[in-house]
Amino acid sequence: MEALYDIPRQFIIGLAETGKIHYTFSYAFVVNGFLCAFVIGPLLGGIGTMVVAKRMAFFSQAVGNAALTGVAIGVIIGESYTAPYLSMFSFCLLFGLVLNFARNRTKMSSDTLIGVFLSISLAIGATALLWVSAKVNTHILDTVMFGSILTVNDTDMNVLLVTALLAAVTALPLYNQMLLASLNPSLAHVRGVRVNLLEYVFVLLLTILTVACVKIVGAVLVEALLLIPAAAARNLNRSIRGFVLWSIVFSTVSCLVGIYAPMRWDLPVPSGGAIILTAAAIFLVSMVVRMLLPRYREASF
Amino acid sequence: MAGPSIEFDGVGLVLGSTTILEQVSFGVAAGSIHCVVGANGGGKTSLIRALLGQMPHTGRITLNWQDNRVIGYVPQTLDFDRSLPVTVLDFMAMATQRRPVFLGMSGKQREQIARRLAELGLADRMHARLGSLSGGERQRVLLAQALIPEPGLLVLDEPATGLDLAGRDILERTITGFARAGGTVVWINHDIVQVGEIADRLTYINRRVLLDGAPREVLASGVAAQLFPTLGLVQRGAA
Repeated sequence: MEALYDIPRQFIIGLAETGKIHYTFSYAFVVNGFLCAFVIGPLLGGIGTMVVAKRMAFFSQAVGNAALTGVAIGVIIGESYTAPYLSMFSFCLLFGLVLNFARNRTKMSSDTLIGVFLSISLAIGATALLWVSAKVNTHILDTVMFGSILTVNDTDMNVLLVTALLAAVTALPLYNQMLLASLNPSLAHVRGVRVNLLEYVFVLLLTILTVACVKIVGAVLVEALLLIPAAAARNLNRSIRGFVLWSIVFSTVSCLVGIYAPMRWDLPVPSGGAIILTAAAIFLVSMVVRMLLPRYREASF
Repeated sequence: MAGPSIEFDGVGLVLGSTTILEQVSFGVAAGSIHCVVGANGGGKTSLIRALLGQMPHTGRITLNWQDNRVIGYVPQTLDFDRSLPVTVLDFMAMATQRRPVFLGMSGKQREQIARRLAELGLADRMHARLGSLSGGERQRVLLAQALIPEPGLLVLDEPATGLDLAGRDILERTITGFARAGGTVVWINHDIVQVGEIADRLTYINRRVLLDGAPREVLASGVAAQLFPTLGLVQRGAA
């Protein structure tokens, strides 16, 4: 599979070494980050539209923050502290599934329930981190929390590529069904949609994405990249096609700028932070455009 | 498009310690318009959800299907964020095709959707945002999706809510046309005047079946006058 990356990687490095593009691209890890951005951008941008449509922003944020606890548990049980994939995936998955189960079974409002679960998860995470600090320098965990392209290797790229393919194969055929179920579950059921099953599939998707994007965007910030580009695209579009396409564009641009800008101008910002700040800037512009131009204000009552 | 006949036989439903439905038995003839009326909280929507297989219940609900086993369903409302960028066409595509809606639709599908929307007076609203429609227009969009693909059974949960006079005429014309072509209609309806005008049969439910029969006979009974306090006014107005 490495050959798959080597061809574009060597090509881009070659261009940088001959001065055709900026010399920053002569570093393999920068090129790795860029290759990942072209996978993460469309992936999170596309799935993000579903998060916004299903009004699951808080839910996905909670799943993302659960990664913090997953990382701490991973280090305690002896996983690599730069890539504790197994613990992170297991804990996020457990968190998401139990939360979704409780949401379906109780009459409690969704935001209250998510708030309770999130608090429990963070409390466990904080306790576990205290133990972890005795074993390793917790600053090392910053790369997992907030992203760092310096540590992206071929294994991380393999995880990302397989996850992206899995997510695309799952989400594309189910996109309409998930959207319809969010508008009216009864109607979706009559049309043959297995509404409850799809809820769990979506939780699974969010969890896998969180874990796969952790090296580039960081565990804590992945969910922001699911939400912000889609929210910006929503401000400027009236159809689903525009919503999805612009969300993908905003997400991809955020990733590319967030990876490139700190390298190019020596900014002391982790890649995750830079990516989210870029997305936030796009969102702010979209809000201003929406407020100033009447054609974008339709149906905003 | 021959629709099914339906038999509700001793249907009961208990949620927690509350009895929602108790020994509900009545029949719906194939190709008829059957209106279900009753007080708020009387179990009408629960009965419909039991019919659609979405509610666990006791007793038996039998659908005697003929050639067309498709169910079209018009829900009471859509629970969605009004600022969501979903056009009427997007919603129709989302409900009626598997291809992700952002990848577009086939020409044939688009033509079918456009035809249905035009029949329901929504030809010029195809590209409008779903959130910008009036309540009545949204109800007609819901009816349009229920008619694709052509169903044998049409189940409506108070679709006339929020409809203006023109919208109400279009709705009635579409539903009577559907039943005349052989389709079966089960319709929860609060508008007793409308029920009297177009239903073939009426069933009044308040946990149990209190009235069941042809609207003309049922509405003339003394029990009906107690159950529908405005009925006398309506009849006097009509006279």
